Amino acid sequence: MSSMCFYVSSVTNAMRGKAVLEQNRICSYISRSTDDTIKNGCGYCLLVTSDFEKAEALLRSVGIRIRGSKQMNDAL
Amino acid sequence: MNSLPDTVYFDNAATTWPKPTIVRDAVQKALTIYGANPGRSGHKMGLAASWEIYRSREAVAHFFNLNNPSNVIFVQNCTVALNIVIKGLLKNGGRVIVSDLEHNAVMRPLHALSKDSSIYEVASVSFGNTQETLNSFRKCITPETKAIICLHTSNVFGIRLPIREIGMLAHEYGLKFIVDAAQSAGVFPIDMQADCIDYLCVPGHKGLYGPMGIGMLLCNCDQNLPSLIEGGTGSLSTELNQPEELPDRFESGTLNTAGIIGLAAGIEFVNRIGLKRILEQETEHMRFIYRQLKSIKGVILYTQIPDLVYTAPVLSFNIEGYNSEETALMLSEKGIAVRAGLHCSPCAHRKFKTLNTGTVRLAPSVFTTFREAQYVCKSIRNIAQISRKQI
Repeated sequence: MSSMCFYVSSVTNAMRGKAVLEQNRICSYISRSTDDTIKNGCGYCLLVTSDFEKAEALLRSVGIRIRGSKQMNDAL
Repeated sequence: MNSLPDTVYFDNAATTWPKPTIVRDAVQKALTIYGANPGRSGHKMGLAASWEIYRSREAVAHFFNLNNPSNVIFVQNCTVALNIVIKGLLKNGGRVIVSDLEHNAVMRPLHALSKDSSIYEVASVSFGNTQETLNSFRKCITPETKAIICLHTSNVFGIRLPIREIGMLAHEYGLKFIVDAAQSAGVFPIDMQADCIDYLCVPGHKGLYGPMGIGMLLCNCDQNLPSLIEGGTGSLSTELNQPEELPDRFESGTLNTAGIIGLAAGIEFVNRIGLKRILEQETEHMRFIYRQLKSIKGVILYTQIPDLVYTAPVLSFNIEGYNSEETALMLSEKGIAVRAGLHCSPCAHRKFKTLNTGTVRLAPSVFTTFREAQYVCKSIRNIAQISRKQI
């Protein structure tokens, strides 16, 4: 199953993102960022399993800064 | 059912007590279940704690009508919140306007920033006269003024300031509006949008019935104030610059998870009862006490009878022949907890000419009973009678 990981800088951004996505019926999971290519260290990742484009648009619309994203296979 | 508790507690303006059962349970749950450090790790307990803290931010934002939960910053107390705003806002100079009822939580940071001369103007609050109060604030505005800072209600005399009108005045002149809601949060409705509040400073342990050691700064503008304290935030760790995003900018170091979760439970408690009912109930007790004290020879009152519009349910008094601390001590011997002295508010006491004597302050909570109010009045009457015999 394919999923998209959106990298955000703080746990508050991750939690807020999850809440916003839930309000729009998009399921997401939070984990620590494991991607070394995302610089600055100590970030979180929002894993979304569907509606990637809508999810990204929703996150950006509420001012959550996405520091990078990566499509993943069989992540969950 | 009718017996009095061991402590008849009228010191709720300092901190509310007892705490509601749901707050005590929430704190215990936080320590038991959400014990891991929030915002640092990726394990289940850490994420669960982070989620609870985020839900608390949402509850706070909703309670004060703030759009973005990320702009709720958890700090130790209301004083820290005020220091962050005052010192951040005035770091590069400028002046502010304050009321003549302010607490030292505002006045001391301002004094600390004043070098050769003071950096603030003082507006006079006219009790029950919004227009006159507004005129006084308006007259203080100069080209150097950056903000208006004022408390919502006096912690000594209960006087309520017309914050919505003052906020509108501030924005009319392009000034930031900062409100110290130490005594009003959980008693009067506060709407950050309608009241034009840019920064709201709130304690968790008073009218919101949370534990001590938790407070909040709510930011309702895009201005990025400089941080007062820098350190680990669990974010952007390779950068030595403090993160710009809220709440991380002002939340260095480990958060008070139990305090935050307890505070959220306190807000739920207040929401369940309703602000209107809380205010009406507490005001009813204070009106009863006021009328009783008014009839006691030797009791000095400083304000008009408490109402629902111009005053918070807080009352100051003295008994002739005793200083305020002596009266408080005698009340303590009768099992009554009150606060005497200057209440960290010399400005308010200067205005009411009680700077030398201080006052005894009575402040109820939603748990105060009519029987307790009766007992306080009876005790004050007894002390006043003793005083008259000695005179």
